[in-house]
Amino acid sequence: MMKLLCVDSEPVYREIISLCAEKEGVKVKSVASYEEAILAFENYAPDIVTLDVIVKGGSGYDLVKKLKALSGSRFVPMIFLASHTADSVMDKCFKAGADDFIPKPFNEVLFNIRLKTHMRHVELMKEMYRKNKALTYYQTMIEREHEMAHHVLDHIQTRSEKNSEQVAITRLSAASFNGDLALVKTRADAARLVFVGDFTGHGLPASIGALPVMQTFFDAVDDLVCVNELAVRINRILFSILPDYMFCAGYLILMTQEGEITYWGGGMPNAFIRRSNSSVDYLQSNHMPLGILSATEFEADLQSNKLNAGDTLIIVSDGVLELKNCHEEMLGDNKVKTLISNAYAEKSLITAQQIIEQQLAEYLGESEQLDDITLVALRSPCL
Amino acid sequence: MSISITVNDVKDIATITIVGSFDFSLFNEFRAGYSDLNKPYKTYVVDMSMVEYLDSAALGMLLSMRNAIEADCNIQLTGANAFIKNILMISRFDKRFDIQ
Repeated sequence: MMKLLCVDSEPVYREIISLCAEKEGVKVKSVASYEEAILAFENYAPDIVTLDVIVKGGSGYDLVKKLKALSGSRFVPMIFLASHTADSVMDKCFKAGADDFIPKPFNEVLFNIRLKTHMRHVELMKEMYRKNKALTYYQTMIEREHEMAHHVLDHIQTRSEKNSEQVAITRLSAASFNGDLALVKTRADAARLVFVGDFTGHGLPASIGALPVMQTFFDAVDDLVCVNELAVRINRILFSILPDYMFCAGYLILMTQEGEITYWGGGMPNAFIRRSNSSVDYLQSNHMPLGILSATEFEADLQSNKLNAGDTLIIVSDGVLELKNCHEEMLGDNKVKTLISNAYAEKSLITAQQIIEQQLAEYLGESEQLDDITLVALRSPCL
Repeated sequence: MSISITVNDVKDIATITIVGSFDFSLFNEFRAGYSDLNKPYKTYVVDMSMVEYLDSAALGMLLSMRNAIEADCNIQLTGANAFIKNILMISRFDKRFDIQ
């Protein structure tokens, strides 16, 4: 039940206002003076206040200021009911914090209409406050989940090979984490196994599939499992554990010491091979992403290529291609190609990676990075 | 509303039209779009001619739709702009959907 506090020095108005408000189903407390009003506001905690410009023991302007201050974050409409109806009076009332002004003597119907309007506003504000509280709760929860997902993935990432003149991995996490994963490990036969993946979705759900993928990947490194068998294994695991609306786009790449590349790609943008003569070739993913097709439908056929001395293989997640500058323009395939062609002319892979990171940052400028960015660069060890 | 449904019982087609950004925010609404129909249809059309952006969550939602609907029913993805069509083709959605 909504509560109204009526502040009026004249008993007859206290009575009229009480009667009108009670007819609308509002509980009313009426007081006659400034001091009583302050006390009642604190103890009775009304939803709406009516008051006059002239109040026993103080001024209505001061009272409204005081009551607004006491309301804090609560919205309590203050309606002036006053016999002084000059524009200057009204102006002072509103400047002091009033929400409405009704001249005395007032029409009962008009008062009820205004009262109902204010009650509706109070309800709306209360509803908004409740929703805001719920949203704040969910936001905090999601932020916590994202932190946890980051933590899980960062842990996985530590098992990957450290950056060197043959491998450079750049991962730039966005505010809303979205499940990029990059793993590189050299096998006992000196061939390098690479997985660059992009899970659907954001936050914790996106990281769930990463744990079994990591395990399968490192087992495959130890057991010298071939790439097509690894693709089959990862697909089978993700198909069984992920719900049907989640999957993982990815490249699985094996590069021998001589630079021979065999790879499986599903749902990923083209990867680039920057040749030593600065031309660019592509690796293309020609399959559906991992975790969609059942074991019987899954296709594990591989493609191949070769890295010669001085060539660089660069795999980027779609976060790189969809990077937006301050004009909302996406970076796109062509610009990435140019950046890569220039940056990896550099002899040192680590320096080249720093150059490209810097150029991506320059492109982004002041705008916010929306997606995770993963950029993996590899060179053949036979240099 | 960013999703609207129209049905044509004579031609046995249900059309789901999406406007704006096709992303995770439409998860429940999109699912309701095909699962709350009175009867199954022979052909489902997802009209994307007014979709500006589509993310991987939307791809997941389409796969979920494919799984929920009888395998012998056709799902057409129509009106995709070049950017979206490229995303669909990279993920080889042509294997499961009729992309037009």
